[in-house]
Amino acid sequence: MKRTAPRSTLRKIIKKHKPQLRLAANTDLLVHLNFLLFLHRLAEEARTNAFANKSKIIKPEHTIAAAKVILKKSRG
Amino acid sequence: MLPFISFIFTSSSAMMSRCSFSFLSSSSDVVPDDSEYECGDPHQTVADSGKGNNSGRSTLLKQRPTACPDHGNDTPRLMLKRIIRTQPQVSPLVPQISQHEAAEEAQPELPSKRPSSMGELQLPNLVPESTSVATFHMTKKRKKLSISEFERAADRRLPQNQAQSTLDNTILARSLRMSLGSLVLPDSVEKRGLLRRPKNHKPIDMEAFEGGVEQNMLNRKAENYLVDSPTASGIGTAMQTSDAEIMLSNTELFVQPQFEQNQNKLSALELQLSNSKTSAQRSEISAAQEEARPVGLVSSVGTNEGRTEEYSEKDLILDRVHVDRTTHVSPKPPANQQEDKQDHSQQSNPMEQLFDSEEVVVGAAEHLENTGYSEHLKKKLTEKAESQITTAQDARVETEMALSEDDGIAEGSVGHQGSPEAEHDITRDVEAESLGRHFHAISSPEKSGMKLLKAAVEQADEDQAVMAEWDDPEKEPTEDEAEDPESEEVSMKTPVFVHAAADKPVLSIPCSAKPAALKGATPCSAKPATPKGTTPRSAKCAAPKSPLQPLRAKPVRRKTSEAEVSSSLIKQIFSHYVKMPVARDAYKIVEKCSQRYFKQLSDDLEVYSSHAGRKTVEMADLEILMRRQGLVTDKMPLHVLIERYLPLEYRKLLIPVAVSGNKVIPCK
Repeated sequence: MKRTAPRSTLRKIIKKHKPQLRLAANTDLLVHLNFLLFLHRLAEEARTNAFANKSKIIKPEHTIAAAKVILKKSRG
Repeated sequence: MLPFISFIFTSSSAMMSRCSFSFLSSSSDVVPDDSEYECGDPHQTVADSGKGNNSGRSTLLKQRPTACPDHGNDTPRLMLKRIIRTQPQVSPLVPQISQHEAAEEAQPELPSKRPSSMGELQLPNLVPESTSVATFHMTKKRKKLSISEFERAADRRLPQNQAQSTLDNTILARSLRMSLGSLVLPDSVEKRGLLRRPKNHKPIDMEAFEGGVEQNMLNRKAENYLVDSPTASGIGTAMQTSDAEIMLSNTELFVQPQFEQNQNKLSALELQLSNSKTSAQRSEISAAQEEARPVGLVSSVGTNEGRTEEYSEKDLILDRVHVDRTTHVSPKPPANQQEDKQDHSQQSNPMEQLFDSEEVVVGAAEHLENTGYSEHLKKKLTEKAESQITTAQDARVETEMALSEDDGIAEGSVGHQGSPEAEHDITRDVEAESLGRHFHAISSPEKSGMKLLKAAVEQADEDQAVMAEWDDPEKEPTEDEAEDPESEEVSMKTPVFVHAAADKPVLSIPCSAKPAALKGATPCSAKPATPKGTTPRSAKCAAPKSPLQPLRAKPVRRKTSEAEVSSSLIKQIFSHYVKMPVARDAYKIVEKCSQRYFKQLSDDLEVYSSHAGRKTVEMADLEILMRRQGLVTDKMPLHVLIERYLPLEYRKLLIPVAVSGNKVIPCK
């Protein structure tokens, strides 16, 4: 069961990184959406890596390799 | 007659009617017998020939004058008609005739039929019902009149049945009385049968009730906390009251500030389980104190069942009766300690030992209660409390000194080392040696100034590796928070451990507390805050929090100081998307990755909004970002993604929906 988006937490994170930046009304929901999609892509990549290694569980090395790729992709 | 009577009874429900019916039936019983005897034959003969009827009924006919019956030429139909007409006169329903007459006044004519003849039994069957109904009404209203009417009717028939009437009167009266009496009885009997037994409401005895409640409470608590249920139940009232006091006085599950001091002592006590009688005395003191307090802790430790034997032994130790059994207990803690040493690092060893000893002590405390030495223990409790408080204070001071030592104060270190050495003299054999080993091992880095800090950092890292709950050991700024919770955890664990130790001598506590303190101090040393400032803070932090809270304190703090998405949420989402079992370390990497991602995100958004000449981030900026990321394409619009991934509530907020009345929700 997915929980609700941590809206205030997201706003605090962005504020911490960019204090001068403001956020419009429901933009944090789109940020949350973005975050979900990012995790989704990361999960898919990690799964692919695990399958490539013929491993039944996701190991840290799979996730590291996946993170490198996906972070590069989501740079915008 | 009999069936007729039964009909009367069955058809009527009311008593009145019953009475009347019985009266009627009784009368009818009497009368018809006579009348039937006289008229039955002619009636019966009527069935054969109509002549008999006419002869028998001509005089009785009152209602309708019969035409001269031509018996010879009468058709059966005519005969039957005549019989029907004449029946009431001859049948046992003589008394009913009078009533019937009265009823006729009130009601339309009712067919009056006499059940005298055999062939007319059908009719008479109907008659009694109808007449019973009629009489039912009658009798309800005019019970008294019925008798007079009956008498009148009976008098009318005097010329015919004078003897009968007289007989009827006498017999009727008798039967009436009998019937009425009989009727009355069954009803009353029935009523009596329906009566319920009178309820005996005992006056509530408040004292007994309250006593019972207390007994229940104590018994329940005894079951929860005491290992031996039979022994618990067998405990006398004195024991129960003491238990109640003990349990009720302290309902906290976890360590209280006042206990920490005692715990420190008790931890030392536990380590010296195997020690000799002097230690046994102190252990008694500490055990008694522990009994008074950590009854609640027992549940937290939850090692009751496994320790019953040990506990029983400890109880005996405390009573100084069976000192021999201490040897059984003593081999256990040293064994534990040795095992721990082998398996874990130096830091973890004392911790685990403390844990084991704590549990053992707790079990001992429980068992002490079980055995029922309440009174004896009470005295000891008071003594031990005082003694423990003093010793706890000493232990506290020592811990503080230990902490200060880590910060590189030579004086403190010297004094710190001096005190444990003194304690070494006091402490007992194996445990003392082991503790001394730890002590020296830990104290050695303290002598070096800078090395101490590095060692502390390393130890802190080790701690983090050992304790899985901490995140990102790399982060130095979190060390401050880490150190305090670490020290808190350490100090918290020592109290629990101390509570468990019931048999340990007091002096062993400072010795055991010192390695724990040192262990807690080393992480603190990483942060070069004022030594005294950290130590009291760590002490204070440890005091109010339970053993579990330190584990929670750190992540909570981290979230407030640096906002991060909760790790549980990330775990949930990631595991849901990946659909495969994930190693725990992989989650850490995902968290780090997400933090980097947020950093990138905020940078990008800033760039986009500034490019658009705005200072606030809008939806358009985010859409551009997603487009650049490749999430939103020409084939995949943003709204579709919103619909797919976000719950309905958010979708409603984000996607404008047109509703009737030229409205758009949310309004643009």
